[in-house]
Amino acid sequence: MEKVMRFMGRYSLGRDNGMGSLHFLRIKIPGGVITSEYFKGIAELSREYGRGYAEITDRQDIQLHWIEGDDALDIFERLEKMGFTTDMCGQAFPGAGHGDVRNIVGCPLSGVNKDELIDGYPVIKELTRFFTGNEDFLDLPKKFKFSISGCMYNCTRAEINDMAFIPVVHDGEIGFTVLAGGGAGKTLPGPTLAKPLRVFLSQEEVFDVAVATVEIFRDHGNRESKAKARFKYLLDQIGVNGLRNMIEKKLGRKLEDYHGDVSREWIEHTGVGEQKDERYYVCVPLIGGKLSSDIMEWYAGLAEEYGTGDLRLTTFQNLIIVNVEDKEGLLKELGKEGVVLKGIIPKWTAVGCASDFCGKTKEYHSKEIVRDIVEHLETSYPNIFVNQDFKIGVSGCPNNCGYSVIASVGLEGRLIRVNGSVKQGYDIYLRGKLENGSIGRRVAEGVPAENVVNVLNKLLEQYKIKLKNESEIRFVDFLEKLSDTEIKKLVEVT
Amino acid sequence: MQEPKLERKSEGEYTLDVRGQTCPFPQILSQLALEKLREGSILEVITDNPPSARDVPIALRKKGYEVEVKKSNGQWHIVVKK
Repeated sequence: MEKVMRFMGRYSLGRDNGMGSLHFLRIKIPGGVITSEYFKGIAELSREYGRGYAEITDRQDIQLHWIEGDDALDIFERLEKMGFTTDMCGQAFPGAGHGDVRNIVGCPLSGVNKDELIDGYPVIKELTRFFTGNEDFLDLPKKFKFSISGCMYNCTRAEINDMAFIPVVHDGEIGFTVLAGGGAGKTLPGPTLAKPLRVFLSQEEVFDVAVATVEIFRDHGNRESKAKARFKYLLDQIGVNGLRNMIEKKLGRKLEDYHGDVSREWIEHTGVGEQKDERYYVCVPLIGGKLSSDIMEWYAGLAEEYGTGDLRLTTFQNLIIVNVEDKEGLLKELGKEGVVLKGIIPKWTAVGCASDFCGKTKEYHSKEIVRDIVEHLETSYPNIFVNQDFKIGVSGCPNNCGYSVIASVGLEGRLIRVNGSVKQGYDIYLRGKLENGSIGRRVAEGVPAENVVNVLNKLLEQYKIKLKNESEIRFVDFLEKLSDTEIKKLVEVT
Repeated sequence: MQEPKLERKSEGEYTLDVRGQTCPFPQILSQLALEKLREGSILEVITDNPPSARDVPIALRKKGYEVEVKKSNGQWHIVVKK
């Protein structure tokens, strides 16, 4: 019983409803930072308990499936030795409550990034230590999601977090400003991009502001219903000024104003890049973040041989080996197993949720669609998307775990009736973006799953025609300029 | 964190209140409680977590227990005979 009590509040299993799995195990990897030793440790767990399968999530967790309740204590003990915990999975309760602070995401290149203003990882670790198992914060109205990144680029999808700390320079000092109240799901008030709080914080102030905000959410968040229980609903009620006043009251001091630009380019750290110490990072594109235990051990071995054994997980479900000196040697080894680090950018940036295990999609699940779209782009448009990106997000349901509503092309699963049978369909969203952001617009409902790639292809073919006259136009700008009539015609399924 | 207590209702009948606990703790705690009870005892496990209401009966039936489930007022009463 003592062992059981030790794990309560820090470990949990989540509910699966598909692929013959009853439970998932979502291992929090704060900021996506992990060593080869622990990557192998999790690979062993996936082999012994998870049918040899694992996936990187878009919050930098590692998720296993097919976990049995009878094995949980052994699994938790082994995770505890590695220093990892899990999400608390309180979302299954029918009402509002049982929410926890989820894995805090950060720039996957924190500490080595050439384009880093400040290293956000130390405060990620500090906040993780504070909130883990803390009984004062295990019954929030709903989950709370943080992003803390010192990267000059938006590699964490800051605007979709309940609270995001992004790096800025103010009066010659490097620190953070804050965005608040983001969330991609359909709970009230709907998909929302986080708003600037217009404050400047030193690195030392981030911890107190983060804790104060979660306290405010805990004490004032709506508990009437799950639909109103996210932090974005509270912010909608009190406004950013209201939140700021409440934080300042808690801290007992005024925060410094900041009115600078908060928009950054939304990117993934793709391919091979130079670190600030002149070593290299190598980002491996994993479609849907899918891994096997054997592959995990292989990557861990490569990280040890060519780097320092350090790996990073990204919010695009990819894996990075950092601190590489012999990049050519590593690329050669990767190439032997068919891992190619050239090609279209969407191969790194397309995201699909685990709708197959959630049971939210009937067939032709989110990650399968991502795989097929990427393959289609590689085959049919290999040159066009080598130097330009467009974000593809595929979600199995309105919870939007695949970020469909902020993608340039987003798909959201919906079951449809065709000739009396229930089949898988997808709604199509276009024009979502985070830089000077906007939520995507739904342009088609219930497109049969097997037609989705065709619909995308019609848009792409039209874009190719456009390129003949306007050779510099990007696909995302082409989508912006399409009229409603043109879109309707292109997405119509005959 | 408070340890969920096994309470004696009457001779040979016990309750275990695991409301507020997420998976896998209702299952683990139910199994630990059953280990302590004599043959013929009845254990009523009370949960408000829908996945546990699904999983606890599955796990206990696999181990050979007779299990009945009743739902009322958003809670499940999982009655297990040892």
